[in-house]
Order: sequence, then structure tokens, then C-alpha cells
Amino acid sequence: MKPFHLILLVLAGVGIATVISMYGNTTQYVAFPDAKRIAIENPGKAVHVVCKLNKAKPVIYDAQTNANRLEFYGFDSLNNESKVVFTKPKPAQFEQLEKMVLIGTYQDDHFLATEILSKCPSKYEDAPGAVKSNK
Amino acid sequence: MNEPIKNIVFAGEWLWLGNLGHAFTIIAFIAAIASAYFYFQHESSKDNSMLQWAKRCFQLHAISIVGVFVVLFSIIFYHRYEFYYAWRHSSNALPVYYMISCFWEGQEGSFLLWLFWNALIGLVLQRSAKDWESPVMVVIAFAQIALGSMLVGFHWGDFKIGSSPFDLLREQRPDFLNIPILGQLGVENYLQVFKDGNGLNALLQNYWMVIHPPTLFLGFATAIVPFAYSLSALWRGIDRGWIAPAHIWSLVCAGILGLGIIMGGFWAYESLSFGGYWAWDPVENASLMPWLIMASAAHMLIITKATGRHLFTSHLLVQLSFWLVLYATFLTRSGILGEASVHSFTDLGLSGQLLLFLLAFLALALVVVLQGKQRKIALFSILAVMLIPMVLAYSIEAPESVATFYQWLKGLGTCLFFGWLIYYIYVLYQRTKMEMSDERMDSREFWMFLGSMFLILSLVQVFAATSIPVFNKLFGYKTAVPTAADYNKVQLWLAMPIFLLMSLGYWFKFRETDIASIKRPLLVNTVLTLVATLLLTIGFAIEGYQFILFLLLTVGVVVFNMIYGIQKKKTEWKRWGGNVSHIGFGILMMGVLVSSVNKNILSSTKEGIDMAPEVDQKGNQDTKGIKFNRENQLLYKNKPQVLQEYTAIYLDDRKGLGVDSIDKYFKVAFVKKNEQGKTIDSFVLEPKTQNNPKMGLLAEPSTRHFLHTDIFSHVNYESSMDRKEPYSNFRVDTIGFFRPFITQTGKVVMTIDSIRRTKETAGLKLVLAIKAKRLGDSVWLRPEFMINEQTGDFEMKAAENDRFGIMANIINLQIIDPNPAHQNIVFVIQTGEKTPVWDYVVIQVIAFPWINLVWAGTIIMVIGFVISVLNRIDKQKKLMA
Repeated sequence: MKPFHLILLVLAGVGIATVISMYGNTTQYVAFPDAKRIAIENPGKAVHVVCKLNKAKPVIYDAQTNANRLEFYGFDSLNNESKVVFTKPKPAQFEQLEKMVLIGTYQDDHFLATEILSKCPSKYEDAPGAVKSNK
Repeated sequence: MNEPIKNIVFAGEWLWLGNLGHAFTIIAFIAAIASAYFYFQHESSKDNSMLQWAKRCFQLHAISIVGVFVVLFSIIFYHRYEFYYAWRHSSNALPVYYMISCFWEGQEGSFLLWLFWNALIGLVLQRSAKDWESPVMVVIAFAQIALGSMLVGFHWGDFKIGSSPFDLLREQRPDFLNIPILGQLGVENYLQVFKDGNGLNALLQNYWMVIHPPTLFLGFATAIVPFAYSLSALWRGIDRGWIAPAHIWSLVCAGILGLGIIMGGFWAYESLSFGGYWAWDPVENASLMPWLIMASAAHMLIITKATGRHLFTSHLLVQLSFWLVLYATFLTRSGILGEASVHSFTDLGLSGQLLLFLLAFLALALVVVLQGKQRKIALFSILAVMLIPMVLAYSIEAPESVATFYQWLKGLGTCLFFGWLIYYIYVLYQRTKMEMSDERMDSREFWMFLGSMFLILSLVQVFAATSIPVFNKLFGYKTAVPTAADYNKVQLWLAMPIFLLMSLGYWFKFRETDIASIKRPLLVNTVLTLVATLLLTIGFAIEGYQFILFLLLTVGVVVFNMIYGIQKKKTEWKRWGGNVSHIGFGILMMGVLVSSVNKNILSSTKEGIDMAPEVDQKGNQDTKGIKFNRENQLLYKNKPQVLQEYTAIYLDDRKGLGVDSIDKYFKVAFVKKNEQGKTIDSFVLEPKTQNNPKMGLLAEPSTRHFLHTDIFSHVNYESSMDRKEPYSNFRVDTIGFFRPFITQTGKVVMTIDSIRRTKETAGLKLVLAIKAKRLGDSVWLRPEFMINEQTGDFEMKAAENDRFGIMANIINLQIIDPNPAHQNIVFVIQTGEKTPVWDYVVIQVIAFPWINLVWAGTIIMVIGFVISVLNRIDKQKKLMA
């Protein structure tokens, strides 16, 4: 084997290893009980949970007490309920969010989210109901 | 309802304008087809009259595209909301200089811009390509046909190809004609109701968004030229002649695309709220991927030109960068990214068509690469039979009954697609492989090749991570999108060998190098690099071995290229291009390192320890509070707050200009004092919020730029967002006229000033006028009390004032003296205050040290590309002469 091909082979190996390790590191979207289990098995590993706000329970954000703490209850995609604590200020129009993705870890009795990805339901004007604002 | 509409003559529509635009579109489309045909004929027959026809047709095409552009701009400029595009993407309030941004908010406008750049590139190629004109222009014209088909807008029942920017509002949204008010006005007068448009996305209303997208699009558009040259060479069976022009264009592309990408980063930094210029967002990655490969291809073309080696890799990379441009278009425009991206591109239901678009180019490439007519025909028929169903399966929502069949079809189509791709690469390899001895380890081409391979490795990771939403859709996975940290930890290490090779490569000569002769300069360079790194490590205060290593290697790029230029090229500036680009890139990456590793969140707070762990993922103490951030500080109005070395004071807020403005600016002063208490620095930042009814709270940061650091501030919450909460701090007073009483907190003083009585059918209505005073400001509150004289029941209606955040309610009244003239009445009044009573703002303040290196590095890099391009054009001209 020529040394040149050896180098190519090594590079290809590095590439494959990179991709495999990256896919190994990715998480599936999980439910709250899984998040709880992962937090015990693998402390500190961040997971993603697709979550819907429980509108029946209070959303607590008191900027004057702690500007970096938002507390609410949410359902995962399998309808398990959990308390969620978010470490940033309350996002705008939070109560109207249809669906959000929480990124974080489970801790004691709550899911500690360091990031919330969301799309405002009325962001797309073509979405049903959004047209009303135009009249 | 639908039937009679057809016979209605609608008032006030400028249908002729739309028809004109549509006519231009169709002329452009047909002219592109004709041009492609004539160029093809000229290439096959060498008949010169064909060439003349081809040139004219393409020029007609270019003029028509300009025509479409002008018509669409007129529609937006004159606020013709009978056209869906204008209604959807613009509004009356939109200033003229943002109207151009309407072009890239919508899909049709974006394709139009792409067509425009391609047409311009085509005109340049007509002058510069010489004997390569015909085959290259066939590819360009083919692209114009494909892009044009997206604008023509054919409809067959439910199946549509393209969407015209001249579609009418009433056709796109027939439901609008059913709104109740048109019942009185008459449907034909619907334009009297739709007098304003939906408006341009607020995020696009920024001057950077006027220049960043067209630059990026021009970068994307130029990627087609090296691709066209590669296909032309394969078509003609020529090895070499295509390389020089393809190399020039690859440099043009890499330069413009690089500039466009960083402009996007600058826009994000200046006007988005995530606090940075790069977030590994899929849309950013989509533009980075073709750049990585184009940079790699530019180097590979140098090798092929200088030594004749790696012809296959040159072809492959040049083509790959163009495929990645198409893939980027698919990613960002098909809506497949969904929630994975912060960019709000909409799905126009064209994902099937975009796939078709991608496949059309692959088919073109395959037809060129394969030789022998039968093979072409055989392959084409397989393609047509198998891939069209796949496209349909993507573009049409599967009915419940055939869902599994659709899934199966998709799987089959996907397998076919990849099989086809691999076969294509195999044939390409067969056609372009060369038997040559191995290159020597002491040759420049060896190190350049290695560097290009590392760029590809970098791409592989970005591609694999960015494509996760695509794989999820293809195979029904539920993999979460990787975070920025996932990218950073891989890319940090992949970048290092690239830096090393960028430093060393130039010192080697093509073919073989006399190692003894470069030993000394390399040693000197290494020592210089080490010294400079030592000083910079202290100067920048970098900690962590991986970051110091990264710094060392970026410093190396700057030093090695600088010294090489000084030694070998001296004042022959024309030859400096490559070195200057490398130096710029080194400085850029140095800036990226310092500004992100030493980013200092001034507003981080230790409050609320109960909720966030103090350890990061590796179990290290997280002293900077970055990992689990408590990054926001609450500033009360007029109350100074210490933010590390600064003291911040929220002074005031003001509404944006204009009556309807929903902008709110917060004036926050920053003061820095030295140990003697003397002010050494002070400035005011005005971060903005926009309470956008469509998009929620949009915050625009405000940044103070110093030479060595930027102070970035951004509002995440503010007191008026709290005011929707119910009242608290209730208090009840029993009080008579003219006697002051206070609210629970004592911040507002009230007096009952007068009473008004009116007899109504329901009974006696009493309205109190209460004057409320706060810090020299006052408002009136008028609570009501209604007594039904027959039944003795009473009703009350509280009065509120939003500005003061207070309410007052009459709960009861006791009449001491029944004679109304004496006004001897005592009221039982409940008052309440909304919390918070004081204004506050929740703000994030970040110091980015040496972020100017990022921008400076970019500018230097682009200058390097410009020098290289000019130099190469010069050389090419001399060669031709």
C-alpha cells in the first residue's frame, strides 16, 4: 500500500469516527421519565423534551425576586406532566406557545431547562387564525 | 360563492402591471430555452450563426429578467396589494430602502434575485469565456430554465410548478372575499378594504439585511461557473484548459460567499438577540458548507494546474460545492428545518419541486459524464420512472390509505438517488483518473492536498449534523438537533491541522523541495510564532491548553505567511493574494477564539443559587456562570447597579418615532471608575424592544464598540410586560371629599374631587372623580357606582390607569347628611396597585473582547481574494495574448 493511500485511509477513518461519535452524542427527543432516568445514569447530559404548557397551572415568573427563573408545568409528548424550571427570563407571549423544545437535565423534582426553542404560533401569517390581525 | 366571482369586474386593480410582469417571465423562460438550444447546436456543429442567435437570446433573457425585477419592484413601490406578493411581504409604512428586502423574504423574489445574478454572470461569461463560451453557457442557460420554471407558475389542478410573484391576492386568498364588510361594500371593491399589506418581517428591517442577502446570493450564484467549466471539460473530453478560468471563478465565489457569510454573522450580532455572530444554526451552516468545499476546490485546482495531479478530485470538489449550494437552497427553502432553525422561512409547498430542481442538475451532469447514447437513454428512462414518483411522494401529503406505500416509495427513491450518486462518482472517476507516480512528501501539492482533505472533514461533520432534520424526515427518526457546543468541540480540533498546513504549505515548492534551504526560515518562523503566542496568551488572558494551542496555530498562520510574503514576494503586491487571504483567515479565527473563549457576561448574577448547579458537564466548577447561565440582571429605573467593573443605570425609556411605533428604547448608562473614584469611561446604550403583534417580543441589542472590546446589551424582559398581572396591594379607605389618602405602598396620593349624579333607567348612577398624584404627575380616575332605587341593589365599576398601574373602586357609600348640596358623603374606596410599581428592565450585558479581529480578518481575507483574482485574470490575459 502506498503511503498516500494510507493517509487517505486514516483521514477517512477520522471522518467516520467524527460522524459516529457525533451521532452517538446526539439525543432523541425524550419524555420526562426518560429524562429522569438519563439524569441518573449520565449526570449532566443534556436532553431534548418536546413539551406543551399546562395552562391550568400557574406560570411563575417574578423578575424582581429572580430575573433568571421561570417556573411552569408542562406535558411531554406522552402526556406525562412535570414541573419545569427555566434559567432565563420568561419568553415573550409564553402563555400562547403551542409547543416548545426544552433542552436541559432532570433535577430532583423538576426539569431544569437551560434553553427553550419555540416558534410563536402566529409567526407565519398563513397559519389559520393569524389573518385576523390584518383586518 | 365561487361561481359569481368569475363575472365580477374588480375595481381599482392594476392587472396590466401583473400581466406585463408575467409576460416578461415567460419571455425570459423561453429565451433561456432558446439560448440553451442554440448554444448546444453551436457546440455540436460549430455553426457561427448559431452562436449569434444564442448570444442574442441570452441577452433578451437578461433584459426580460431585469423587466421582471422592475415590475415586481413597482408593485411593491406603488403598494399594489391586489398582488399577493406585495400584500404578503410589504406594507405602506415600509421605507423605500427596505422595499428591496421584500425580494428575499419571499421564495419567488429570492429565485428572481438568483436569476438576476446568473443572468449577469452569463453576460460576463459571454465576454470572458472565449472558446469555452458555448458549453459553459449551455449549463448557465439550463440553470436559468430550471430557476425560471419556479417563477412561471403553471397549475394543473392540484399540481403546481412554481409560484408566480404576480399571483393575485384574491386568487391566493379567496377567503378574503368572504369577509363580512364586503357584504356592504360589494365584493368588487375589496381593494378599499385591503389598503395595507402584511408587512415585512421585522427582523429584515435592518440595513445589513439590505446588503447581506444579495451578497450571499451572488456567492451562491457564482458557484455555478466552476461547475459549468467542469461539465464543459467532461463534455469536450479536455483535461486542462478549463482549470484556469474555473480557478478564477472559484476564488471569486469563495471571496464573495465568505464575505456574505460574515456579513450575516455581523447582522446577527448587531440585531439578533442570541448574543454572538455564529450559532451553528442550520441556515448558517447551509451557507458555510459550499464555502468549505469551494475553498478546498480552489486549492485543488491550483494543484491540478501546476502539476496535473488530482484531476478527479478537482472535478469532484468543484461539482460538490455546486451541489451543496443546491442542497442549501433545499434546506432553507423547503421548510424541512422546521423548528431546528431560528430563521423563519416558510414552506411554500415546493419541497418536491426543489428536489426536482436538484435532480435536474444531477441528470445534466450524468448525461455529460456518461458516454454512448444508449446508456444515456437507459439511465434517463430509469430516472424518469423511479424518481418522479419519489418527488411526488415528497410534495404531496399522503392519504391515510396509502401511507405505507408512500413511505416505501420514499425509501426506494432515496436509495435510488444515492445509488445513482455513487454510480455518477464512479463514472467520473473512471473518466478522469490518471496514472501517475506518488507525489513526494516534500512537495507543496502534498501539503495542499492534505489541507483540502481537512476542509472536507470539517464539511463532513457540519453536513452530518445539519442534515439531521432531513434524516428524521426520511427515516422517521426523532434525533434532536445538535447544539452549538457539539459543533464547537469537533470543529476546534479539525481547524488546527488546517491552520498548520496553511502556515507550512507555501514554504514547500511544487514537485520537490530542497529541505535544507527551508530549515532555517522555518525555524525562525517557529521561534517568532512562539514568542508572539506567548505575548498574546498573556495579553488576551487565554486559559486552557486547547485554546492556547489554537491561538498558537492561528498566530502561526499570520507569521508564516507574512514572512513568506516579505521574503519571496517583497513589493510585488500582485503575488501576495494567497498569503493575504491566509493572514486574514488566521486573524479572523484568532478573533473567533478570543471573543468567544473570553466572552464576559457582565450581567451574570449569583442570585437564585437554588436552581442552577455550580458544576458544568465535566464536573468542573463553573465560575463564569456561562454553562448554566444566570445571565440577566434586573435594573430598577434610576437605581445604579454594579455589573463587574461597570455601574449601570437605567435612566429612561422612550417610544420609537411615529404615532404607531411599537418600538421602545431603554436608555442605560454605563460608568466605569478607577480606584480613585474618577470616572474613566462612560457611555449610554439604547437597546430596543419591539412588542410585535405577529412575532412577539423582538429585542434589538445595542452595542458600544471599542477597539479592543465590545459591550453588548440586550433587553429580555421589562416591567410593562408584567402589567397584565392582576392588581395586588389592595387597601380600603373610608374617606370624604378633598381628604388625601394613599395607596398601599404610599407611592400614589389620591383625593376625591367631585361627584356626578345622573338618573338612568336602571337607577341612579354616581361617578366619582379622583385625582391621583405621583411625583408631580397626575391622572384622573372615575369609578362608577349604580344604585337601583326599586330593588336597592347596586353595581360597581372600577376605574384603572395603566400608566400609574393603579385602580380605584367604590365598594360602598354612607350618606351622613341626605342633603345633596352639602355633599356630606363618605365613600368606602378600595385601591389597588399593579406590581411592579417601579419600572425595571431585565438586561443582558456581555463584553466581547477583540471581536474587531473577526471583522478585520474578514476584510483582509476578502482583499486577498481580490488580489488573487486580479492577478490570475492578468496572467490569463497575458497567456492569451
